[in-house]
Amino acid sequence: MWRIWLMFDPRRTLIALVVWLAVLALTIHFILLSTNRFNWIEGVKKAASMDVTISEMIS
Amino acid sequence: MADNKSPLSSTGLTEAEAKEYHSLFMSSTIAYVVVAVIAHFLVWNWRPWFPGVNGYSLNDHILPAVSQLTSMLS
Repeated sequence: MWRIWLMFDPRRTLIALVVWLAVLALTIHFILLSTNRFNWIEGVKKAASMDVTISEMIS
Repeated sequence: MADNKSPLSSTGLTEAEAKEYHSLFMSSTIAYVVVAVIAHFLVWNWRPWFPGVNGYSLNDHILPAVSQLTSMLS
């Protein structure tokens, strides 16, 4: 397996791998942030708005 | 220098250098994968990302309510 570094330049491979993993990770994180269920900053918006509606209906 | 360089080497690395780099590369890869597995485990516990046939609501709302009811009744 180590013979791969005789074929592929380690520096170019490392830069390409880091760039690819960063792009992939950022893409996945932004996709998750754009969803309702998996947004870990805003939380689930639907339940919050439902609570507001119910409290508005009660008052 | 040319004595320990493999004739297959197109990157200019010697076999010893390739082995040294490979051991670093593999340990870094394993560390990265371990961190990713831990992160995925925590996120799955927070919110599983495969809904059942009834969607996410059964896992998130109905099943906790049922377990709460049964614990209250028992």
